[in-house]
Amino acid sequence: MSSTAIVSTTSASARRRRPDLTPYLLVAPAVALIVLIYGYPIVRIFIDSFLSPTKTGAKTVGVANYGFAVNDPVFWKSAGNNVFLLAGVPLMTVLALLFAVVLFDQIRGWRVYRTLVFTPYIMAVPVIGATFVYLYGFNGIVNTLLRDIGLGGVAQDWLGNPTLVMPSILSVVIYRELGFGVMLFLARMASIRLELYEAAEIDGAGWWARLRYVTIPQLRSVIGFFVVIELITMLSWVFAYVYSMTGGGPGFASSVLELYIWKNAFAYRAIGIASAVAVLLLVATSVLIVVQLLVRGGESETGEE
Amino acid sequence: MRTTMVRFGGLLAAASIVLSACGSAASTPAPTPAATTAATAPTDSASTAAVPTNAEPVELTYWYWAESDAPGADKWMADSVAAYQKDHPNVTIKVVPQATDTLQSAFQTAAASKSGPDIASQWATGPVLGFVWSDAISPISDLVPADEIKHWLNTSENTYQGKLWAMPMYLLGIGMAYNKELFVKAGVTPPTGDRWTWDEFLAASAKLKAAGITPFVGGDKNGYLGAWWFANLGGQQLDSEADLVKAVVGEASFTDPKYSGWYTELEKLVKAGYINNDVMSLDLDQGVRQFYQGKGAMAFTSDGMLASAIKELGADKVGVMRPPKWGTGTLADAGNATQSISFFVTKWSQHQQAAADFLQYLHTPERLTEWYKATGVVAADDRFDSTLVTVPQLQQMAKFETTGQQTWLENWIPSQLDGDGDLPAGQLIFSGSGTAADAGQLWERVAGTWRAAHPDELANWQGLLK
Amino acid sequence: MTDRGTRRNRTRSLRSGGTVFRHVLMISMAIAAIYPVYYMVATSLKSKQTWTADQFGPPLPPTLENYAAVMADGRIPIWFLNSVLVTGASVIAATAISTLAAFAIARLRFRGQTFLLRLMVALMVIPPAVLILPLFLGLQPLGLTNSYVGVVLIYSGMLVPISVYLLASFFRTLPVELFEAARIDGATTMRILRSIVLPLSAPGFVTLVVVNALWVWNELLIALVFLQDDQRRTLMAGLTLFKGHYTVNEPLIMAGTFIAALPMLLLFLFGQRFFVRGLVAGAVK
Repeated sequence: MSSTAIVSTTSASARRRRPDLTPYLLVAPAVALIVLIYGYPIVRIFIDSFLSPTKTGAKTVGVANYGFAVNDPVFWKSAGNNVFLLAGVPLMTVLALLFAVVLFDQIRGWRVYRTLVFTPYIMAVPVIGATFVYLYGFNGIVNTLLRDIGLGGVAQDWLGNPTLVMPSILSVVIYRELGFGVMLFLARMASIRLELYEAAEIDGAGWWARLRYVTIPQLRSVIGFFVVIELITMLSWVFAYVYSMTGGGPGFASSVLELYIWKNAFAYRAIGIASAVAVLLLVATSVLIVVQLLVRGGESETGEE
Repeated sequence: MRTTMVRFGGLLAAASIVLSACGSAASTPAPTPAATTAATAPTDSASTAAVPTNAEPVELTYWYWAESDAPGADKWMADSVAAYQKDHPNVTIKVVPQATDTLQSAFQTAAASKSGPDIASQWATGPVLGFVWSDAISPISDLVPADEIKHWLNTSENTYQGKLWAMPMYLLGIGMAYNKELFVKAGVTPPTGDRWTWDEFLAASAKLKAAGITPFVGGDKNGYLGAWWFANLGGQQLDSEADLVKAVVGEASFTDPKYSGWYTELEKLVKAGYINNDVMSLDLDQGVRQFYQGKGAMAFTSDGMLASAIKELGADKVGVMRPPKWGTGTLADAGNATQSISFFVTKWSQHQQAAADFLQYLHTPERLTEWYKATGVVAADDRFDSTLVTVPQLQQMAKFETTGQQTWLENWIPSQLDGDGDLPAGQLIFSGSGTAADAGQLWERVAGTWRAAHPDELANWQGLLK
Repeated sequence: MTDRGTRRNRTRSLRSGGTVFRHVLMISMAIAAIYPVYYMVATSLKSKQTWTADQFGPPLPPTLENYAAVMADGRIPIWFLNSVLVTGASVIAATAISTLAAFAIARLRFRGQTFLLRLMVALMVIPPAVLILPLFLGLQPLGLTNSYVGVVLIYSGMLVPISVYLLASFFRTLPVELFEAARIDGATTMRILRSIVLPLSAPGFVTLVVVNALWVWNELLIALVFLQDDQRRTLMAGLTLFKGHYTVNEPLIMAGTFIAALPMLLLFLFGQRFFVRGLVAGAVK
């Protein structure tokens, strides 16, 4: 096997040689798997979204499946809930930043705190969901505490009340994902050059000013990264939260697009409708793909910074 | 019972139902015999292809499900098989227990490839008829004499086009249990007959409430309490199951008070505070547990739950009545017992008569008695010796379940309408986030979606009305 | 995080008032973060009676009866093994396939390599919910639903984009001189991969394996759809079923849930740095 393709990607002196098949052979298994697991399904949902299965075979129904979806209030409720969750990302980011900044000051016991805040992120969503169902129950710990401190009037059926169920679910998502943000921010903060802080101090900058003019600007890219990851989570990865805590209820109050697709696909045999909604979700995520490529793709294409 | 058992694994179960059916419908009509693996145990019988005569060896494969409804049922079946094989040395019966979640999907796969067990189990009405329509079932009434079938109960659940398609084994129903002690405390007297009128129920609830007692306890987090109310109240303005099917297929509207007016009554209960305030954060079973703990005066209970209540509260404290009568339709008088699971002979079986003979054997009085001893569940046969039931409250339940017309309404709607209509509509009411009118509209909308998305199924359901 | 000396200086420079406030903040955060775990463990150690009497009190006297019942039920141990099998196989397959691709992308030059890396980044965004239905319809006629092979195929496929991305970033950090020296010695591409890249990348692999294992172990949607046979479920999918069977036995449910959470908690406890490194990899240079 030839070795001529070896180059240093950071060296500008690399020269092109005659074509070598080695790289193609190396990427072939990954490409094949990706075609199977991503390529085939993506092509197929587009096709299926225009079909309706009948006894005699599938027949083309134009955009009727899309029509069903957009005329179904449950679809809109589900999409709206995803939007609601997306809107929770700034809150989560601010919270993560707050905890990271406090931890970064190395208050006593910060290592322990750091481990603890990260623990929820290690636990599976179904595990967390199963537990929060009890904690958020009408007679769960949250309400018991509220009643104990004389705030019984505030006690609510957190997951059983249609107006509160989404905020409650969002809080659980934040609960789990927060530690990830704190970790990311801490890691980046550790590499901020000390001189920046010293210079700021000489200029008489207080705690807040240092945070605002040194820390946050330095964290910009990692904050961007975290926000993108969490936007993706809120759009594409909340199924397990909803499934394990409410199943989409009460009524459809906590349905999300993933659940809507899954129900139509696997419970109601509405393959066309499920495919149409999958296409719509894919289109929505493609916006995030662009953002993701901007945040993440550019930096690593050639390895040159 | 189907409601409670099927659906907790619920939607995930439903998952495959579908796809095995659709997989073939969508584009590739190729049958998929290997698709479901382990649960779909090998089926030797179909390949032996022998003409059944008395002497020739017959091997039957039986896909069996009952244990989840009636713990002890597997043991009983093993005993029954052993006894039957002893009397019929040429017959070998291989029992393959089925998982709740894959019950439908596994058989769907078998039906698609027209090979599999000789005898199989499916839930009554909807699922059974679904397989009738996909031509997977041989009518049992062609294989078992009419004077045997006349002893079986609840046969209407699987009767279609003049034939009976599957055999019932047992009956499950819902009663309204009450706490005698709390009744006395509030000055409430149980009905003189076997049930209250709706107004009597409301009056009693008011008294209980005034005495500081929660009149009715339950849990609807998973939606099943709403479904149980539907099964008990939802049909009381209807004259037959066909009335319900009319609304399913679009010949009538669920927004008609005839169909959804009962939600107004349910709304009254919620608004008046007659139902526990944590109803939406408890699952069905957790809600019933409140009753065991003496936290409420009344609750819907299955036979098994009633037995638990007696165990926890003491036999002298628990009474049971039929759910109240509210409507004026013929079905207002019907009981709510269902056979839950049904057993049938498959269309492709090479030994249809032998299979039917074995099923018939399961209804011999001796087997029925053993069934009850093993499971504590009433058998669906008028030859069942009801004196076997010794606990008075359970005796009463057994009487409710075996007397008069019985219908479990949930069997008569497509699963999509159940999951997206019935269950969420109840949650709208219990959580106070929707009105009775909203509930009716929800049903109608979901039915419309289902009709539009499934023209084939619609045609089959329309066939039910003929 | 970096060396302690610098940190200390910085600590001083950053410290300002509100120490009490910060401690209050962090302590409440810590309690909130850990309470659900405590609740899970405490509940699982209570008898049904103790739990009914007091949901929130300490588990006194503690009992292991729920764990015994979980074992007696017998399904959770099976699901546990299924999860181990599926996780192990998926992670191994994904790592092997991704290593080859990442090496080519990071260290070789060929047409389409930039595109390929961008594609990986883009694919990381695609929701599994979009893919499962066509995958199911496509795999069913092949007998690959309800099969370990099918599910491992899907998991490893879904792990490829992130794995290639992370490994490529890692391979790039290896010193260029090593490759040049090897080239001068006439080493073949495969040899360079085997004797330079692999040995030097152990930390990268550990990190990747941890991240991927965490993902597969915790995954629910695919497991629900593709492994429906009771005997083949993974722990996460089985947990849902288990909850349904024992609705009125909360201590038992919490015991099962805790067993499901335990492996990752233990891994985290003993390999915290790998988790941290893995999860922040790619985000922070």
